[in-house]
Amino acid sequence: MGKETEEIKKIKPGRPDWFWFLFPSLLLIVLFFFLPVVITLIISGTNMSSNTGFHAWKWVGFDNFRKIAILPETAGHFWLTVKYVAVTLAFFNIGMALVVSIITTHISRGTGFFFRALWLLPRITPTVTYILMWKFLGANAPYGVFNQLIIQPLGLEPQNWVAAASFLFIVLVNGYIGASFGMIIFTSAIESIPKDITIASLVDGASMLQRIRYIILPYIKWPLLFVTTYQTLSLMTSFEQIMVLTDGQFNTEVWSLWAYHRALQNYWGNFQWGFGNALAAVLVVIGIILGIVYLRYFKFNELVQEPKIESL
Amino acid sequence: MKRLSLLIFLLALPAFIFAGGQKEAAKTTGPQTVTITVWAKANNVEHWRADAAVPAAKALNEELKKEGKNITVVVKPIYDNTPWGQYKNKFTMAADAGEGPDIICSGHEDVPVWAQAGYIMPLADSVSQVQGMYPQFKDVIDSLWNATKWHGKVWAVPQDTEARPMFFSKTNLKKMGWTDAQIKALPEKINSGQFTLADLIKTAQEAIKKGVVKPGFGFWHRPKRGGDFIQFYVSYGGKVYDPDKDKLILDKNALLKWYQFQRKVVTSGITPKNYIGTEWKIWHDTVSHNKALFWNGGIWQWADWKTNYLNGDESILFKNVGYALIPSGIRGKEGNTLSHPLVYMVTTEKASGNKYRDLVIRLLALMTTKEINTKHALESTHLGILKSQMQYKPYLDAKFLSSVTYMLKHNWYQPNDSYYGQWFDTVWKGMSDAENGTKTPQAAVDLVVKEMKIELGDNVIIK
Repeated sequence: MGKETEEIKKIKPGRPDWFWFLFPSLLLIVLFFFLPVVITLIISGTNMSSNTGFHAWKWVGFDNFRKIAILPETAGHFWLTVKYVAVTLAFFNIGMALVVSIITTHISRGTGFFFRALWLLPRITPTVTYILMWKFLGANAPYGVFNQLIIQPLGLEPQNWVAAASFLFIVLVNGYIGASFGMIIFTSAIESIPKDITIASLVDGASMLQRIRYIILPYIKWPLLFVTTYQTLSLMTSFEQIMVLTDGQFNTEVWSLWAYHRALQNYWGNFQWGFGNALAAVLVVIGIILGIVYLRYFKFNELVQEPKIESL
Repeated sequence: MKRLSLLIFLLALPAFIFAGGQKEAAKTTGPQTVTITVWAKANNVEHWRADAAVPAAKALNEELKKEGKNITVVVKPIYDNTPWGQYKNKFTMAADAGEGPDIICSGHEDVPVWAQAGYIMPLADSVSQVQGMYPQFKDVIDSLWNATKWHGKVWAVPQDTEARPMFFSKTNLKKMGWTDAQIKALPEKINSGQFTLADLIKTAQEAIKKGVVKPGFGFWHRPKRGGDFIQFYVSYGGKVYDPDKDKLILDKNALLKWYQFQRKVVTSGITPKNYIGTEWKIWHDTVSHNKALFWNGGIWQWADWKTNYLNGDESILFKNVGYALIPSGIRGKEGNTLSHPLVYMVTTEKASGNKYRDLVIRLLALMTTKEINTKHALESTHLGILKSQMQYKPYLDAKFLSSVTYMLKHNWYQPNDSYYGQWFDTVWKGMSDAENGTKTPQAAVDLVVKEMKIELGDNVIIK
């Protein structure tokens, strides 16, 4: 036993090796993830804006964060973001993705493939074209498809549905794009479930729901963790579809869009980089906290444990 | 130790990146050829904003040749039609990196912001000084220089200006039973404050009742964010700026009345519900095809309707469309209109990376001629900016332009105050809430006041 451990020690990689092995990805992480966070935090402590340029700015400490705390509009943006992320995630990025992947793996392969390809369409359509379609779907009479085909024939009052049902629209618009991500990952995970287990459950007379509950879900636990974590964070910070659709009108200005508007897209051109970065910094902190919570909740440690079979 | 050096490296990296921004791009321009870049935000009928530099450069090169100077000016006019925010953002980033254009055409409200940031240079210490620099500058209508001033200095040269009228459908008014004489007298009645915003609502409601226009088509205000809305605040007696104290003003009373008006147009059924954010294409299509009774926009849209919506047939517009000032909200008070002059600003050597500032200003003077400016004015239906244009035949022959020029007597400008952007965003948000009914007008006003205090503090006077 003692000899074996010595040998293992010998072949365990030394420090320089692991460093150079990790170096390329470490460099990328530092350059594109860690540094932007540091820069965001630095700028959020300044009053940098169009007025000051990038040179004449001053340190203002936590003033920007204090302003976020006392602004009456803050709560609105916050709760909207929570609602938007939770609803889109539950119904589309996870919910719909699961439904589509379960159904398309239980029908003929060709048909399943066809429907999955359909679900990819929103993702591969250029954003502006995709949103334009939604806009003209909900646009006010006499333009909107919805008004023309459903509302007016029923004798109801036509209106601009993008505005009237703005929350539903932003969820649908993002959900249809977001669902395909989970769909692809869940599908491959479901297809890799050993066939003998599925067949055994069929022999035992398990219903579809029972199979989902006791076989599929436990088997795709890790992909579920990954998609949930990844999509929560990406929904929290993505805003381009909302920007093109409503530009934050009708109570659709989610936190990240608020930050973008303040920092980079102010109508009369006075960009508040300092304040905008403070808003972004809040997102970064929430993202980190959520990331840790998810990893703990789904017991990420178990996933990365050394396989038990090797240590036997 | 390694860990420590890694940490130092990581912490020092942002400093390198920041320092990079400060380094001036060292551009080498040959002694013989000077390239001057002009940026303008323009659509297809406004391209002269940038292209004015081409004939001007030709004239400048001839002058330089006569003077025996061995310099040739090459111009790069660039116009793009991105939204204003993006355009300004692009300029800010470019200027800060020393990659900006030499001349930037933008709204006059950018003067204080960009001057403060060091992107643009002052042209003269006073209006009389700038007028003395070149005969072309002397030709600029005096009052327009007011829009180019900030902290006493002149920072820009006017490019164009406009009026933002209340348009109305003459044919639809006639269908309602108005006589030709009544229709003809409407602009004057608005001018003198006899026809107010309350009358506008009443008339539009009547038009819907009589079936002349569909419900919701009585009044179509501008569909998207824009300075135009502040005209209604002014209509109710609101003031934006106190020139003596050099501070912005928020008049709670006028704000409330304005918000109540925006809400009332929806509740009275003359404007559709959830109307803000309607696509521009839908808006132009509706108003240019005579489907609405009243709508407020800008005179430049006349060219857009003619060219892009009516196959170039201006006679349809003259037959259907009338125009007046924005009616007052207070009976007896005259109407108003917002002018938003676009101006050419000369960037600093540091922002453009080009040291030939004198040549740039000289080119700018040659861009400011009645021939070039009239081409722009006619093609894009903007008002001229030169005294000589008022006697220039091609300009005088433009029926529409000559019939709206009187509005400039009743115009006002947005202030050159670097906090105006935040002021505007805050009142705009309140207005959207009030009009859409997500808040009562009073609640919207209260919120705006609260936010304004946090956002602008001492930089705004709240009355």
